Amino acid sequence: MSAAPALDVSALRVHFRGADGRRIHAVNEVDLTVAPGEAVGLVGESGSGKSTIARAVLRLIEPTAGRIAVLGQDVAKLDARALQALRARMQIVFQDPWSSLNPRMTVGTLVAEPLRLLGAANRADRQARVVRLLARMGLSAGVVDRYPAQLSGGQLQRIGIARALVTEPALLVLDEPTSSLDLSVRAGILTLLAELRCEMGLAMLFITHDLGTLRLIADRIMVLYLGQVMETAPTERLFAAPAHPYTQALLSATLSADPMIRRRRDGLAGEIPSPVDLPPGCPFAGRCPLAVAACETARPALAPIGGDSHRAACIRAAEVQRRLPNHARCLSGEKRR
Amino acid sequence: MAVTDSLVLSHGASGSLVGRVAALANCSRIATVGGAILALIAATSLILPHLSPYDAFAPAPTEVFQPPSAAHWFGTDINGMDVFTRVFYGARYSFLVAIPTVLLAMLLGAPAGLYAGYRGGLVDEVLMRLTDTLRIFPGIILALAIVAALGPSLLNIILTLGILDAAIFARLVRAETIALRKGGIVESAIAAGNPAWRVMWVHVFPNVQQGLIAQTSVRAAWAVRVSATLAFFGIGVQPPTPEWGLMIRQGGEYMLSGQWWAGLFPGLALLLMVLGLNFLGDGLQDILDPRRRSREG
Repeated sequence: MSAAPALDVSALRVHFRGADGRRIHAVNEVDLTVAPGEAVGLVGESGSGKSTIARAVLRLIEPTAGRIAVLGQDVAKLDARALQALRARMQIVFQDPWSSLNPRMTVGTLVAEPLRLLGAANRADRQARVVRLLARMGLSAGVVDRYPAQLSGGQLQRIGIARALVTEPALLVLDEPTSSLDLSVRAGILTLLAELRCEMGLAMLFITHDLGTLRLIADRIMVLYLGQVMETAPTERLFAAPAHPYTQALLSATLSADPMIRRRRDGLAGEIPSPVDLPPGCPFAGRCPLAVAACETARPALAPIGGDSHRAACIRAAEVQRRLPNHARCLSGEKRR
Repeated sequence: MAVTDSLVLSHGASGSLVGRVAALANCSRIATVGGAILALIAATSLILPHLSPYDAFAPAPTEVFQPPSAAHWFGTDINGMDVFTRVFYGARYSFLVAIPTVLLAMLLGAPAGLYAGYRGGLVDEVLMRLTDTLRIFPGIILALAIVAALGPSLLNIILTLGILDAAIFARLVRAETIALRKGGIVESAIAAGNPAWRVMWVHVFPNVQQGLIAQTSVRAAWAVRVSATLAFFGIGVQPPTPEWGLMIRQGGEYMLSGQWWAGLFPGLALLLMVLGLNFLGDGLQDILDPRRRSREG
């Protein structure tokens, strides 16, 4: 029998009460497992509920229904003391290092804080560990006495990662860790994360709106739309044979490094619909280029398609998959429309 | 101290106390003027009554209502007491009311606002309705009523004004706390394993205290004004205390009969002090709130 999964989420539902008193369905019936050492990518547009899932996992917000187990422990059932102990084992890197690092604390204090709260080491040990970890992040020991306002975005995000890793967690949730950074520093952060994952045996839940990023770091990808899972598959499989129209649309929106490739774009029409009044059928039906009448009536289940590891919530998944994804057949001579 | 700390933070400068004060002076001319006025009032109120040949409390029946002269620079009042000595002595009472009032208001208001803003829910509702109630009454009238009921003593005035003013600080801290709670610092602190009290006092409070400090001076001006008003209506400190509001009241009665000096000079002193506090408060807000900073410091 293997160890408990790093993260096991079942039937998670998070609803908020809007300002006008109406229910906002941020996350609906999401199942999600991250094995020890595995990196799972969660992708979706803004408003798809991906950050809400991250916050529910870390119990920064209370879920409406469902079960969240981190390392076998039900997060919702822990008392304050047990939860605090578990926090050392599950950590999060936030999207915006400028607003998530307390501007009145020095870098040394910020990074050492989780250790200090754990009461694990004495002051000198903590400082030594902080300096060692910062060095691993590619930062000089001199930053310890600096304040966040004196550092660059890339440096700050490295500090955010150091703060998350200082207690040597087993599960690291990354909430769009690179999307607020300049393109030039993104690659460095991603490489660092990939290395750290191997070194520390970290399980990762990597949240982003950019599929291209996930290709570099995730073993498995879940595509989220309006708080529901549209498709989940191993990374290579998802890129090679996407079975949901929404995944295909997302793929067609990612940029290619090859300027000669001109691909057809299934630009998504319109915005993500309001999560207040969810349609009874498929949430994507309103924007789907392949929607039929049956899509509007019943919500499609997440069904296996070609093996148990690949699942899609689309009644026409088999047809969609056959309709070769755009990026797979794009030809260098094809004209842009 | 906290002011200079945050200045060092926001400007990345450091150095001696003199350097810090110079940096502060550089940041806001209006704060410097206000601070200079207050320093002058404080220094003169401590020194001048001792240098003066007259006693601020001793009546001199033979010297009643002397106009300003070389002997009595600001003239004498109805009891023959030297107005110059009394005006400068009176600043002590203003500071004596203003400083403890503001401290008490912060001590009560800041934790209440922090807790309400952070926890939300019922505590927040109750506190906010309470401060609403205080707000719909003009503060001066409420203070008049309460001090009249409790009895006019310096302690009662400070307690009343401090509690009334706590509502202002509570609202201020609550608003800033709510704004911060939506930002990332609070989530980051909780995720790091901070217990609630540490999130509030170590992570939230240091980030809301700038707004608090900026308000202190303005609230001190309010306290000076209201305590003078109380004395003016005879509900504050009692004669023959050289309190400005009281002196304005006593002197004002004889303004029309030609003895203008007994009321005018304490009035000017009160005006100057409130002006100084407001200048300082305005300047502090400019310095501490980057959104209000008109030019780069």
